[in-house]
Amino acid sequence: MRIVMKFGGTSVATGENIRRIADIISSSVSKGHQIIAVVSALDGITEKLIEAAERAEKRDKGFIHNLGQELLNRHLRVAGEAIFNSSILKEIQLTIAATLEELEKILTGILYVGELTPRSKDYILSFGERLSAPILYGALKDVGLNTCFLTGAEAGIVTDDNFGEANPLMNVTKLQVKERLEPLLQKGMVPVVTGFIAATQDGITTTLGRGGSDYTATILGAALGAEEIWIWTDVDGLMTSDPKIVPSAKTLPELSFREALEMAVFGAKAMHPRALEPIMDSNTIVRIKNIFNPNGPETVLVKETKAKPGTVKAVTLLKDVALINISGAGMVGAPGTAAKVFEVLGKNKINILMISQGASEANISLIIRRNLMEKAVNALELALLGGGLIREITGEDDVCVISVVGAGMRNTPGIASRVFTAVARRGINVRMIAQGSSELNISFVVKESDGPAAVQAVHEEFKLGEVSSF
Amino acid sequence: MRIILIGFGVVGQSLAKLFIKRETELSSLYGFRPKVVAIADKGGIAVNQRGLDLQRMLLIKAEKGTVAADNEYGNSKMSVFDLIESLEAEVLVEVSPTNVKDGEPALSYIKSAFKAGKSVVTSNKGPLALALPALIELAEHNNVYFRFSGSVGAGTPILEFAKRCLHGDRIISVRGILNGTTNYILTEMAEGRVSFEEALQKAKQLGYAESDPSMDIDGIDAACKLVILANWVMGKRVTLKDVSIKGIRGISLKDIEAVAREGCTIKLIGSVNGRLEVKPEKIPRNSPLSVGGTLNAVTFYSEFAGEQTIIGRGAGGIETASAILRDLLDIKQELATKLLS
Repeated sequence: MRIVMKFGGTSVATGENIRRIADIISSSVSKGHQIIAVVSALDGITEKLIEAAERAEKRDKGFIHNLGQELLNRHLRVAGEAIFNSSILKEIQLTIAATLEELEKILTGILYVGELTPRSKDYILSFGERLSAPILYGALKDVGLNTCFLTGAEAGIVTDDNFGEANPLMNVTKLQVKERLEPLLQKGMVPVVTGFIAATQDGITTTLGRGGSDYTATILGAALGAEEIWIWTDVDGLMTSDPKIVPSAKTLPELSFREALEMAVFGAKAMHPRALEPIMDSNTIVRIKNIFNPNGPETVLVKETKAKPGTVKAVTLLKDVALINISGAGMVGAPGTAAKVFEVLGKNKINILMISQGASEANISLIIRRNLMEKAVNALELALLGGGLIREITGEDDVCVISVVGAGMRNTPGIASRVFTAVARRGINVRMIAQGSSELNISFVVKESDGPAAVQAVHEEFKLGEVSSF
Repeated sequence: MRIILIGFGVVGQSLAKLFIKRETELSSLYGFRPKVVAIADKGGIAVNQRGLDLQRMLLIKAEKGTVAADNEYGNSKMSVFDLIESLEAEVLVEVSPTNVKDGEPALSYIKSAFKAGKSVVTSNKGPLALALPALIELAEHNNVYFRFSGSVGAGTPILEFAKRCLHGDRIISVRGILNGTTNYILTEMAEGRVSFEEALQKAKQLGYAESDPSMDIDGIDAACKLVILANWVMGKRVTLKDVSIKGIRGISLKDIEAVAREGCTIKLIGSVNGRLEVKPEKIPRNSPLSVGGTLNAVTFYSEFAGEQTIIGRGAGGIETASAILRDLLDIKQELATKLLS
């Protein structure tokens, strides 16, 4: 079987962890599987690089110098822990030092020019993965595997030049990845590919944005026709709810891609929505596994699941949101009001997470990120108050969104009633409700202090703590 | 609308009081909801991204002398420049004390606000008299708005009258009394038959004149306003150094009595007619410019609509604050249009 394995930041945080990865890959290879490894930057490094880029722009020479030393020490230490063979270690140490030298050059350049373009920022961010991939390569070599390491660009991933969140030219990418990696796999090699980074057709480095390494894994999986993609994280797959809120939360054994998307949007630690795109229509299976508990529970994501009608899969809680309420009798029967609201928010780059308007049309309620509340209320007031259309715009920041997710809700009367009865029984007031007609998701808003109790109520009502309910 | 207020003296405090007093009407009639996110005075600053409680700020200012003394939002370390650059706000209201030497620090505050994408409303004549053409260009370049109607005539809408009511016409020349203090002194001399010194003393007692009255009596204040008028109304690109200035120190009771016999009076007149000039002039008693007390009066000579004179009080905290409010409402309108276009 052909498997793309992606290892996130915490999976490669220490040398010991990298050693663990080497053992996992080695045992898979010995079972006859073909493995492609995709690796993220060491835990915390990408954040450090972002800071370095910004400090360089502000001409903070001292920070850049200290950072160079810190990165060198950390990567050398991790490499030393992960690789035992001294000649392999030597090779990796040289690679790390040379790569860091290049980073220091570009940061110095930024320092002198005092200008950070999205293009140079992507280049700087690419160093996290370019430093971690060689260490995993060394560790794999150390356990006797035939291996090589490549950047996403060398592996054949081509994107547009939307720096910071580049989009793959999927067909070109598929063709090139196949051309470059297929021969390696045929030779029995385990290619180690940097996650998150790619390049334009002219070879300029780009990054794939949030969740980028997962995206790299699915792109390679789709290009190489992999049967499975394994996403290694530090938890036992996706859970029915946050175990910190609901102690009886269980790992979800199976979810459809669409259910996983719904969960990701509403705050569950799932894959980034874009990451599932390349395999959305394929029969590729995604497994979300725990690197610290490889034989423990896992979640399998598949194209379609047979959902038992009347069941829900998970309850998520999204915090750090704010509710914006726009009201006024003048809005009733006034076409274009909602368009104006969205236009104003769009112009201020404020993303709307949830929308609800009653048929009376006298108010529109929105959920946005909490840190944008002041900005949003202010922009809406500036643009819309005083025209006679809207009387009042208010923001409330002590709210949270609870989402109930599951394909089993579709075409089943009574789910909403059960959800809200369970919440009401705890004496919790629901402020706002939304359900798309896909029926995969019911979202509602309660006071932030009521959030955990509301999640527990729904979790209990649908007996999500008991695995048999699936 | 989020506002950073620089200067919390008479005008700044009057503006705060105006916001408090008219909160409901401003919101219901104009959809204007001012949120003062920071105030800076000599002692430091107070910041609250969610909007400062103005009542509380007025109280602290009265009790402690600076808003920086507020134990929750006060800050005596943060620089005003950091504030202007980093705090999110639409408008900077600059009402710190006037400095006609170099316009600082107000001039730099206004420039950094433009660079930070913030519009500016000011009644501060210093920066305007010294650098108005440059400031207008900078505001346009940065795509923000710059309003200063309180700088001439305080609450009397002299600048708007010329710019809006005479829209489409061509203003050929402007003449007027632009300083209330000197007008009070000259009126007092003529009516009370007292010397210049006596009239000045009385003006000081009534609070019309500063302890150092030179800005007013030497004609500098009037010259500053003349520069603003010339730029804004007549499109001239001039600054304070282009004005020939003569104050009223040399005017004696005898001079006034002499012109009175001819049915005239002496007024400190600023005029733009080819050149810019501030000097005491003989004015017939029946002229519309012959106004008494602390009043200001400006006559516009337009090519088609003829001659118009606008008269009103030319100084005072609440009067100036009302002009600033007009400017803010104007910017609110502009921003709303921009957001919806």
